[in-house]
Amino acid sequence: MTTTSTSDEELMAAVKADDLDQLVPLFERYHGPLFNYLTRLTNDRDTSEDLTQTVFERILKYRSSYQPTQPFKAWVYQMARNVHADYWQRKEKLRAADVEEVEKTGGLRGAAFSQMRISSHHDDLHEALALLPTPQREILVLNRFQGFGYEEIGQLLGCTAEAARVKAHRALQALRKIYFAN
Amino acid sequence: MKTPELSACHELEALLPAYVERSLPAAEADRVAAHLATCPGCQLQVTQLRALTDDLDAALPEAPRTALRANFMAMLEEQKALLNPELPVAAAPVQPEAKVVSMWPTAIANNWMRIAASIVLIAAGVFLGRQLPWGSRNADTFATTSGQPESTELRQALAGRSTSASDRIQLVSNSGKESEPGDPTVQVLLNTLNFDASPNVRLAACEALYRLREDPRVREGLVNSLAIQTDPNVQITLIDMVVSMRVRRAVPQLERLSKRADALPVVRAQAEAGIGKLI
Repeated sequence: MTTTSTSDEELMAAVKADDLDQLVPLFERYHGPLFNYLTRLTNDRDTSEDLTQTVFERILKYRSSYQPTQPFKAWVYQMARNVHADYWQRKEKLRAADVEEVEKTGGLRGAAFSQMRISSHHDDLHEALALLPTPQREILVLNRFQGFGYEEIGQLLGCTAEAARVKAHRALQALRKIYFAN
Repeated sequence: MKTPELSACHELEALLPAYVERSLPAAEADRVAAHLATCPGCQLQVTQLRALTDDLDAALPEAPRTALRANFMAMLEEQKALLNPELPVAAAPVQPEAKVVSMWPTAIANNWMRIAASIVLIAAGVFLGRQLPWGSRNADTFATTSGQPESTELRQALAGRSTSASDRIQLVSNSGKESEPGDPTVQVLLNTLNFDASPNVRLAACEALYRLREDPRVREGLVNSLAIQTDPNVQITLIDMVVSMRVRRAVPQLERLSKRADALPVVRAQAEAGIGKLI
């Protein structure tokens, strides 16, 4: 995953000590996966870019709370989950106020491309994923797209590795039923 | 004892994902295998789970736009400035020896700031071009006339050296609002896309062409244009367009673009993702 030998934890420890430039390599390592994770959760690329940015803002804001003994990956994904949860709470309000504005100022591609805000990769799979309840989708995304083991998922979701495994298998079966429906 | 088959199937359903990922203990795996040998329903499930797993593995990651990095770098610079309020923010004159020179991140930040600024300018340009009726002298003369003469006048107006980029954007944006097949507007817009000096005007031409996408010349023209565009915004917009219009002929051009050394990494990644979607 890395091209340098400096570990995530060392870099974050430096950020904690106010060497903010060390956040740049962490951004390079994590912004893609985090954006992916958030895009799968929200089904909205624009929002996910904002949320990814928010995650990095919070990393800086709360850098003093980082414990170098804890894995950076777990810490940052916990933060991303919280950012997503906050987004959900605000979503209804945001929706009413912002949609029109986004449509008007959405920029280059305008309404013609609005359908592309949601991914057009592997459409059927994406659609099926979008139909799963968020907790099930999240567990599959972590497991299949983010390379999380069941142990790590368990830590993130606050359950045992075995429970995470069972949940992931249930989610996979649920996705199978949607994907192969009809 | 599980006599009725249905209850056996029901019980095994929960084990099948683990069976497919080969994480079951041997004894249980044997039990599942024995059941599978006699149960076409569960066999089908296993086949589907394998196909689904393959598709999940093959799903391409979503790539964020370059704006995300630009925003991040801007935010980082802001936070660094807050951290060292005694350091110069922008215009404050300082003694050279007091200046902290953070070589490469600043250079990158400046570049990204430039890109961010260009994106904002493009968005503002397109927005103004669409929303505001000013510049109406040109618009009245050239863009609001309808039908056949429109394209001629549009061409002349676009070719006129005195026409500013923002006027050209407005002209291009107003074109192709309603058109029929064979409309010469398409050719004018393709010429604009290929030869206008301003990337913003070229982007506006992209948008206008997207509205005229029913015309077969648009697909052809977009593919050809992929080879000659060098502006990353135009490149990415074109890639998105050929993917969204499912222009399979664009694949060779996308392949070339994905290997072009002078293209930004994000453009190459986008081209690669586009190939994945088209083939």
